[in-house]
Amino acid sequence: MNKVGIVGAGITDCRGRWVEATYWDLFQQATRAALADAQMTADECDSVVYGIYNDIFEHQAIPESSLTGWIGMTNKPGTRVTSGGATGFYAMRTAIMEVASGMSEVVLCAGGEKATDCFDPRSKTATPMVIDTIAKSWDPFYEYPLGATASDSYMQLCMGYNDSYPNDIGDSMVRAKIIEILNHAGNRNPYAQRRDETVTCEQVLASRWIIAPFLRLLEVCMYTEGAGAVIFANEKKAHEISERTGKPILWVKGVGAANESYGAGRGSFYKPLDRIVSDHLAAYRAYEMAGVKPSDIQLIELHDAFVAQLMITMGEMGFVPMGRTRNLIDEGVMVDPRDLRDDEMPPKGKLLVNPSGGLIFGGHFVGGSNMFSMWSCRREMINRKAPLGLVHGTGGINAVFGGAIVVELDEGGAR
Amino acid sequence: MSTLERSPALPLDFNLPNETEEIQGRDGKTYLQFTTHMVTFYKQTYGEHSRFFMALREARLIGSRCPKCRQVAVPAATWHCPACNFVEMEEVELGDRGVLAAQAPITIFPSASFIGQAPFCRGYVDVATDAPAASYLPSRLRTTTGLERPGIFVKGVELKLVFKDERAGSITDIFWVPVSELSREQLDKKPLLESHLNFATPKPPAVTVTEEARGELVQAIAAMRDLAAMAQESPRAQADLAGRAHVIGVKTGGGDFALFIKDRRMRIEEGIPRKPDLVIVAADPKVFSAWVADGSLTDAAVEGALWLPDRNAFQLLPILDRLPRSTRRDMGQPNLLRR
Repeated sequence: MNKVGIVGAGITDCRGRWVEATYWDLFQQATRAALADAQMTADECDSVVYGIYNDIFEHQAIPESSLTGWIGMTNKPGTRVTSGGATGFYAMRTAIMEVASGMSEVVLCAGGEKATDCFDPRSKTATPMVIDTIAKSWDPFYEYPLGATASDSYMQLCMGYNDSYPNDIGDSMVRAKIIEILNHAGNRNPYAQRRDETVTCEQVLASRWIIAPFLRLLEVCMYTEGAGAVIFANEKKAHEISERTGKPILWVKGVGAANESYGAGRGSFYKPLDRIVSDHLAAYRAYEMAGVKPSDIQLIELHDAFVAQLMITMGEMGFVPMGRTRNLIDEGVMVDPRDLRDDEMPPKGKLLVNPSGGLIFGGHFVGGSNMFSMWSCRREMINRKAPLGLVHGTGGINAVFGGAIVVELDEGGAR
Repeated sequence: MSTLERSPALPLDFNLPNETEEIQGRDGKTYLQFTTHMVTFYKQTYGEHSRFFMALREARLIGSRCPKCRQVAVPAATWHCPACNFVEMEEVELGDRGVLAAQAPITIFPSASFIGQAPFCRGYVDVATDAPAASYLPSRLRTTTGLERPGIFVKGVELKLVFKDERAGSITDIFWVPVSELSREQLDKKPLLESHLNFATPKPPAVTVTEEARGELVQAIAAMRDLAAMAQESPRAQADLAGRAHVIGVKTGGGDFALFIKDRRMRIEEGIPRKPDLVIVAADPKVFSAWVADGSLTDAAVEGALWLPDRNAFQLLPILDRLPRSTRRDMGQPNLLRR
């Protein structure tokens, strides 16, 4: 397998709604930003991988077809990847495979979403229709007719986890403190949707219930409109581009993925309700491929749909014990980026989790959210000279899709 | 023909006028947005699932069982076992008892197609409990003891399958209720039908009156009377109350009181009048002081601290929840946090 490096990344401003741009322009903005970062032209890319989650949001059955020309990819191979919330991860995995196989030298991976053009005629607001569109991710025979929503899906797992591991994610104050840290992180991200907000523990605890007892309004990720792009290159091209830009390469060291069964159940191949096995398998497969242990990694960009799920995922990925994920706060495992300089790593044994603000404060444009995470991971690794970083993605009903990518900062730094 | 089958697939009020409107961008420039839709109608086959749904129509629950590993899929979502090289599975008739596999979430903010049904509870039921492995049946869960609330649908609770009287061939033809709520006679019924149960007039839970709670109720009533007085001066609160007439009886651990809403006024009186529109119950009177201090009765209901008889009562709460906020905004009072 050929070595794969990340040589450029860019994202758009994350907004609740872009009336100034359609998904055509959002993808172009992200592509332009990534190419500018890599000091490249679109001509130098051999192919493109698109991450677009849901045709209904874009309101086009082949949304990638209209993007090809506008993002400078005319007459190049293009693959669209769609895997629910994990679309961004799977798009990057596809781009990595293209370079690793030798099929392409340089691949542009761009993902995004235009979600809040949806509009509910009865409430005269966007949200119920956005939720309904996401609810179409459920099957039409059994789950959708019951009124399943994305929040229920994640909360079902949190409730199942809480049944098996009580006294962990159920402490509202622990979750509120994580929110405060993510808020401080989002404040430092110039593209974050909620970069100007201040949210205190007290406000989290006083915010309205979405689903009791694990989900209040201020514990939920956002709907974001935006796009993100990452450029992957083989060893030769990566060095060439890095010399040009003076920015160090991020090498892809490990990629892990796992999708659990759709049907929940007991034993056999069924999806257990008290675990996110997909996160566990994906992370450990990525560690194995990279030859690292969780304790080697201190910088994590994690797909935080909901705070309680962030805690479980941190447990599944081996950073805190299952059942004691509250150690993130109780033992100060998760550091507040405010307590670090921008070029400083946390002390040994401590972790920097979602310095972007995550999907809760940063942004969640589904098809490209994991590119958003990769953009931040790269930014932080370069600024803090972090040797390793981990990017995580999850999605699908009951979080059955899991993905993880371990990246390593080039030893030479900028060449 | 059931009323369900006769109603249009897409509700008739689920529509928007065709128009192109101006909308302001963050950059101060004007942009345009147009109304459009992405509606597709289907005559979607149930295909291999048809057997399962036909059985539901006959008030039977079936699954598919692997002759090799004995795992049971319920619903019968496949007829070839993925764990045993896709060996053909056999039909198995299941009983009408199940166990809740995990605590079940209660939806209060439904998606657009389910507005009006909230709050509702949906969970995963372990039906083939004797099988070495089995899928869970995703189902609606209901209680005969008022609105669905935390503490009822917890892991391990025993459930009885209930069939709707009219069944179209849909997963919503069935739901489950806790065994503990049913009489011997109801438990013995096979099939148990929705009409065999009383959902319309649930019995309010009993509350024990304590001295401490009595003191708290005095404070809560004083706070609510202050709110009522301010609401009369607040244009926003006046708008909230316009066109509403309710007599809400409230039972608490500190004694009973009633909320009268009429002619844009709210009045609080001790005791419950003879024929209130509805009765709600909160053991802890502080639920109402917290409400006045910009808290939320909806949240109290969601947490299970406030008992409601039905969905209509739940729809009333957002209006009551608006009053403290409306008066605060009009009277210029600081945001009083609940906790």
